[in-house]
This record gives sequence, structure tokens and C-alpha cells, in this order.
Amino acid sequence: MNPNSSSLGVDVTFLLLGATAVAMFTPVVGALLRLRKPRVKSPSDAG
Amino acid sequence: MRARSARLERFGAIAQIERPRALVFVDRAYARRVLGVGDAPEEWRDPDDDGAIGKHVLSAPLEAHLQLTNRCGAGCQGCYTGASPAGNDGEWGLREWMAAIDALADAGVFHVALGGGESAALPWLADIARHARARGIVPNLTTSGLDGLDRLLGIVDLFGQINVSLDGLGATYARVRGFDGFARADAALVALRKTKREIGINVVVTRDNFDELDAIFAHARRRRLSEVELLRFKPAGRGARVYAALRCTDDQHRRFLPTILAAARRHRVRVKVDCSYTPMLAHHRPDRELLASLAVYGCTGGDFLVGAKPGGQLTACSFAAPPPPLDDHRPRADELAAYWSRPGAFGAFRSWRDAAEPCASCEYHALCRGGCRVVSAHVVGDDRAPDPECPRVVDHAGAAGARRHLPVV
Repeated sequence: MNPNSSSLGVDVTFLLLGATAVAMFTPVVGALLRLRKPRVKSPSDAG
Repeated sequence: MRARSARLERFGAIAQIERPRALVFVDRAYARRVLGVGDAPEEWRDPDDDGAIGKHVLSAPLEAHLQLTNRCGAGCQGCYTGASPAGNDGEWGLREWMAAIDALADAGVFHVALGGGESAALPWLADIARHARARGIVPNLTTSGLDGLDRLLGIVDLFGQINVSLDGLGATYARVRGFDGFARADAALVALRKTKREIGINVVVTRDNFDELDAIFAHARRRRLSEVELLRFKPAGRGARVYAALRCTDDQHRRFLPTILAAARRHRVRVKVDCSYTPMLAHHRPDRELLASLAVYGCTGGDFLVGAKPGGQLTACSFAAPPPPLDDHRPRADELAAYWSRPGAFGAFRSWRDAAEPCASCEYHALCRGGCRVVSAHVVGDDRAPDPECPRVVDHAGAAGARRHLPVV
């Protein structure tokens, strides 16, 4: 899984905290995603 | 938390979260388990692509930087768009930009960054932002804060993030931009922050303001801003004329990462950097897995992001010239889907996998992607060349020069 910031650049503040903090953050984001499943769109549906 | 949408990719899927703001890249197993993706979709036909971010261009950009107008009266000496009070001939209006937003939404774009010129002065800015929201796209805005503020204050909720360009404090602002606009830009920051939390500063970093970065972070903290976004000075627009004088020195580039992280830590302000800074981050050899997990990539023009000029001309990024024509036609923003998968689309911006040395042997190359194509085009005259300001490239060129100058015995 790959958490990314939104537009206008990449957030590098996490470099202060290191891989451990990111590893701890990842399952939290995963759990939040499970709670509110976004609608998945296929690029082949575009038109 | 609010999850908005997700889209399939060859490596898996990308899900957008609005609070906390993030785009989450997941592999196929995770997409099945968490997003509920069912039977093998067409995008997943090659098993070798599973989880392989960067192996292929994305199915569509994540974001589009739309230069809604090139009208701006500020006259900054290094303006990367060469904006002027008259703007460009053939600028698009609301109808054309709404059609472009439709095309971007159909392709699966998540965000647009609206800029200029001075987009805040456009009477239809709210209409385009509302249309983006209606199509599921988050509009963000960059403004000088020098024009259109009263109207903007009434529509701040339409935007995800609003950043005010502030290239220095007090006299430094005047020295970098060529006029004294600090007090007005700062007043805009204060007024915007009174009505919205997601207000930040955009700083174009030059050799003149580098030593003031810590003070800029302190100012952001005083103003209770959500972030400081640092952009490398680019040789585009009027910036090309003053590039040699304003670009950061090699020593400043090498000190960039520790300087900004120290400032972010000291003043407890979030820091973001644009993709052109990745070579300067890699110089300090941070954990590659950590960079990948934060999606810290170098040039992602023509892949993660695209730009559009005021007349709708599609570009690989907001600093790049329109790509070479295909079949005598230069694509417009409303033609994104038709252009995106064409062979040769976006020219050099998609050629990073064929890098020359010293990029080819660099262990960060898959992340850095060879640095900024716009800088390479201006400084080297070859937009496929390694970024000449990357410390590794500077050292490599120095070593090659030393070898060339060995005396013949």
C-alpha cells in the first residue's frame, strides 16, 4: 500500500518520522478504506 | 474519513480519501479484499504487473494543472508562465474549461490545480470549481493573493487547498519577485486563513530566498497555515531569462533536504516539495522503500500529472512546452483520453526508463526518473538528458572533466 498526498506536490514531512511511522499509519488508512469503500472505476469505462 | 472514488490500474488500484487527504495505491490482492474488486478486470490481465508501480504509465493522470488564464498584472521577473495584464491570445473561457473538466473526469483524474496568471480574478472561477466538484474532482488553487481576493473569500469552501505564492518575507519578496507585494500577499494569507483551514504557502526557491526558508516556515506557523510547498525555480516563461542568476547553487541543492526537514520540525509545519526536487532528496540516500511508500517520485509529467495552457494546449506538466505534434496535431486538454495512450505521447517525459549515465546505474533512478526535463532542456539543450543540477550528475560531470584533463605522458 502506498499512501500519497494530494495534488500540489509530495509531502515529505514523513521523512522526519521514518519507515516505522509510515508502517504504523498504513493499517489505519486500510481500516478507514474498509469502512468507506469508494466506488471503483475502470479506465475502460471512460467515455 | 471520507473516501471518494477509486480506479483500477495495471498494478492494482488507486483510492482517493478526502479526510485525511491521500491517494492510496494498492496491489491487486488489497484491491480485491478492501475495495471489493471482483473477477479479473481487463486491466489485470498480465500477472507480472501486479504491484509494479512505475512499470507502466498510469491509466490516466492523477492530477491536472490548469492554467486558466495568463492574465496577471504582478509582472514577477521570474514568472514561469510569462503572465501579463493582457494574457494570451486565444485563451479558453468557461465553456471550454468545463468541457476539459468533463474529459478529465471521464479519464479518472482526481484533482485539478487551478492557476494562472491570476485565476482568482476570473469572474467564472467559482463556476469551474463547482463543475469540478460536481464531476468528482477536487479543485485546488494557487493565487498570488494580489487580485480577486474579495471574490475568493466568498468561495473558499469549493477548494480543497488554497496556496498563496510567497517567495520571501519583506524585502526578500521584492528582491525575488521584482516588486514589493509582500504586505498584500500576507494580508491575503491572513484573510483566507480566517475562513479556511487548508491554506498554505507556495515558495519558489531561489538562491536569494534559500537562507530565509526557516523564517518562511516560522511565518507559516505564525499564520497557522497547513503547509509550505517548495517549488524548484524553473527556466520557463520569464524565468528562462533570469534562470542563471536566480537558480539555487549546487551547495544549496545539497543542503536542501536537511534544511527543510529541520525547519519543518522546528516550526511544526507540514512540508511538500515538487517532483523536480527528487534528485536533491536522493542525494541524502533516504530509505528507498520509505520514499516509494510516500510516492516520492521525480518527474511524473505526462504520467501522474499533466498541464494545460490558457488556450487548452495539453502539456506534460505546468512548466513544460506543449509536446511535439502527432500527425500534425497538438493535443488539447479536452482530448486527453485520445492522446494519452498514443505511442510517442508527451515525448521525452516518458523516456526516463532509457536513461543515460549516471542515471542508469543510480539505485534511485526508478524513483527519481532522471530529474526535471524542463531544466535539462534549458541547461543542456536536451530534454532527455539527466538533470544537470542533480548532485550525482554534477559529480559525474566533474569526474569526467577531470579524466579528460589528465596530462598525456
